[in-house]
Amino acid sequence: MRGGKIETGQHFEEVIKRFEIPLLQYAGRIIGDREQARDVVQETFIKFQRNGALRRDDQPATWLFTVCRNRALNVCRKERRIMYLDEELIEARDSEQQMPFDQLEQKEATGFLLRIVATLPARQQEVLQLKFQNDLSYQQIADIMKTTANNVGVLLHTALRALRQRYGESARDFIPFKPTTTKRK
Amino acid sequence: MNLNDPKLTAYALDELDEPERSAISRAVAESAEAQRFVDEIRGLASALKSEFAAEIEKQPPVLSSLTESVLELAQGSGRTELSRTLTDIHDDAWFWSIARPLAIAAVLALLAVVSGVAVFSLRREGVQVAQSEWARLPGVPLKPADVEGEFQTPMDAAASPAAAAARSPSAAAPAKMSKQVASKAASLNYSVAQASVSAGLAQAPVSAVREWERFREVRAPSGEFNTAAYDHIVENPFLNAKDNPLSTFSIDVDTASYSNMRRFINEGSLPPKDAVRVEEMINYFIYDYAQPSDDKPFAVHVDLASCPWETSHRLVRIGLKGKEIATDKRGPSNLVFLLDVSGSMTPRERLPLVKQAMRLLVEKLRENDRVAIVVYAGASGLALPSITGDHKEQILEALENLQSSGSTNGAEGIQLAYKIAADNFIKDGVNRVILATDGDFNVGVTNQGDLIRLIEEKAKRVVFLSVLGVGTDNLKDSTMQKLADKGNGNYAYLDSVDEARKVLVQQMNGTLVTIAKDVKIQVEFNPARVASYRLIGYEKRMLRKEDFNDDRVDAGEIGAGHTVTALYEVVPVGAVSNPAESVPPVDPLKYSSDERSASTPLTSSNEMLTVKLRYKKPDGDRSELVERAVTDTGGNFGNAPVDLKFAAAVAEFGMILRDSEYKGNGTFAAVLEWAQEGKGSDATGYRAGFIELVRKAQALKRG
Repeated sequence: MRGGKIETGQHFEEVIKRFEIPLLQYAGRIIGDREQARDVVQETFIKFQRNGALRRDDQPATWLFTVCRNRALNVCRKERRIMYLDEELIEARDSEQQMPFDQLEQKEATGFLLRIVATLPARQQEVLQLKFQNDLSYQQIADIMKTTANNVGVLLHTALRALRQRYGESARDFIPFKPTTTKRK
Repeated sequence: MNLNDPKLTAYALDELDEPERSAISRAVAESAEAQRFVDEIRGLASALKSEFAAEIEKQPPVLSSLTESVLELAQGSGRTELSRTLTDIHDDAWFWSIARPLAIAAVLALLAVVSGVAVFSLRREGVQVAQSEWARLPGVPLKPADVEGEFQTPMDAAASPAAAAARSPSAAAPAKMSKQVASKAASLNYSVAQASVSAGLAQAPVSAVREWERFREVRAPSGEFNTAAYDHIVENPFLNAKDNPLSTFSIDVDTASYSNMRRFINEGSLPPKDAVRVEEMINYFIYDYAQPSDDKPFAVHVDLASCPWETSHRLVRIGLKGKEIATDKRGPSNLVFLLDVSGSMTPRERLPLVKQAMRLLVEKLRENDRVAIVVYAGASGLALPSITGDHKEQILEALENLQSSGSTNGAEGIQLAYKIAADNFIKDGVNRVILATDGDFNVGVTNQGDLIRLIEEKAKRVVFLSVLGVGTDNLKDSTMQKLADKGNGNYAYLDSVDEARKVLVQQMNGTLVTIAKDVKIQVEFNPARVASYRLIGYEKRMLRKEDFNDDRVDAGEIGAGHTVTALYEVVPVGAVSNPAESVPPVDPLKYSSDERSASTPLTSSNEMLTVKLRYKKPDGDRSELVERAVTDTGGNFGNAPVDLKFAAAVAEFGMILRDSEYKGNGTFAAVLEWAQEGKGSDATGYRAGFIELVRKAQALKRG
């Protein structure tokens, strides 16, 4: 196609600029290492560029997050480092676990909620991040995590319930948000 | 109501489709406990969103060197090196076997779901030492090395509780042990990350840093975290008239792109390319087309001249003029103002501007008009039940009392507004929802596809929609354009009270009274006269040729007195063609004989093209057809009507701002010249404003 190369280049640049930081955050949460997350994101973009067959007016989010996730999990496998434990197992671990606030770095103003998020099982963290950082629908998240929209619903529900409960238990001194909305007449 | 039902969360996040949504909604209404739960989940969701957004915001542009290297790799270094690198990276067959079908599936899914991902760009502060947010979070526990391969199919494991249970005893102990390790690893990661980030910055090429500065300059003129979203536009190419004799598109009366572009230039930066929609710029101006003399709702005018930026080409202008309706002849109006009062609407140029705009409109209302005000934020509500237009004070007071706060559940507001519009429906009158927002729907249905479906469904009942966009850094331009498109509506961007006056007072009838809907244009080019052609703009409005006669296909609306203009750049047969306009030939077909190109002689008709229009009456289901043939009489741009000159100047300005490959020989100076010649009497002063804007853009480009 005439002018195709230039257009693709521009589009590609825009895609990088739009998604690099969300992807870096995403890969970072999975791998737990910034440098490796960076490599994974770079590989994702190279693969995206190579896959020129993607139509330019598509929203590339699902594709990018899917590939980024595969690469990140691949790194975890090779490094034999962290794992997405079975959910049941994680739930068991959580029930014995106290809120490890004292273990958390508190002097930086990391979002209070995000610090609670970090105590949740990995897959729950992942759905929260895809939903609330990247504004993806249940179905998109399901596609990325290779599961069903139903299961995404269960994960999110469980995660939000846990957040709500822990927030209530431990947040008496913090008021990052009002948990109820106001009704107007 | 069982609070442990995931559907409740899905409902709170507006992820349910009907009829489930209604069912849960009823159940929630009956249970105070469930209602509280839903409210809390929504509050939690909006707090999470802002914390996650802050995490992105805090992230410095550490990948700038990455961007550069990937781009270099992709563009400069040629294919061999690229593929070698890729082979290095993806050496394992496992990855390819999984990822390729997945990628295809993902692309298919994308085609089905229009995703509404926010565009996160960077805040404008200078490059600073990195704060590695995620690295400071406690890591996920370290993994015992005995379950290699498990993550390849995490779902299989999760779906099989028995298998999981069998594994859990052995894995539980290491998981517990790993808590402390994880915490240590986290702090270690943090310092490592800081060191490596500093190193990365030191190594980043100066040019890359400059590139980022430039980028942020363009994308974030307000100096804030910028989440404005513009859809990518691929411009219409030149098409060979022999192979593509038909060009079909929907009319568009939106003007938002012009005022948004103006806001960028007035704030001292050129707009992002994809914020420039050329047809909306052209249609911002009113052209002096004659009104219909028959009983048709609009008149069609076609004229042409040489193309000023490529003189061997012809410029064809198609102009539509909607019938004017005197204000006292306007049917009674049933208006519902749907106002976004979320926190993001606080700045002066948002909610306060919207209130001013609404006040202007209210002043114009008559006693047989009706107005209601619906507001939405975290929760939506009725700020003013529908009352008649002579209660001006009451309406103005209700407007005055609105205050902004909270997050935005647009979907709920839309539902309520359409319900009230339907409850107060005036037969043969103006029934319209006027939505004013910065478009940031961040609670409830935030998925663009779902919002659009919601509006589309509502629009089936003869309630029209006007979208008034405000705001800067998080303007969801693409969402609002699509809402207006699907909601049988129009979309204007308010950057000032003057713009509000233009849209809501001067062109009140055009904005409020729809005189024809689903207006489609199909142009048939005569290949004996036309080698190739290009429709300027309207990229988001293209239709398939079959859609023209298909009355089920939605298209644009035209309001009373509205003018709609479309320009074609036409390469006549025999014109000298530079490579950019030549259309590469297609191979002859192997199995079908292509009769048109080979054997059939071309028509001897002198006509250059025929313009066909289809439209429906505002409440009609069947379309009517208007046709008009055009012959080129060889007019020059120098002698062209002033309006054609002006429209050409605006189109070329848009193409230069887009840095279009089709901009030809045009420059800002040439645009100024044509605009001066095309200024005409300019009673409203809008054309003088355009000329001023071109001068500013010229200065910005130089600076």
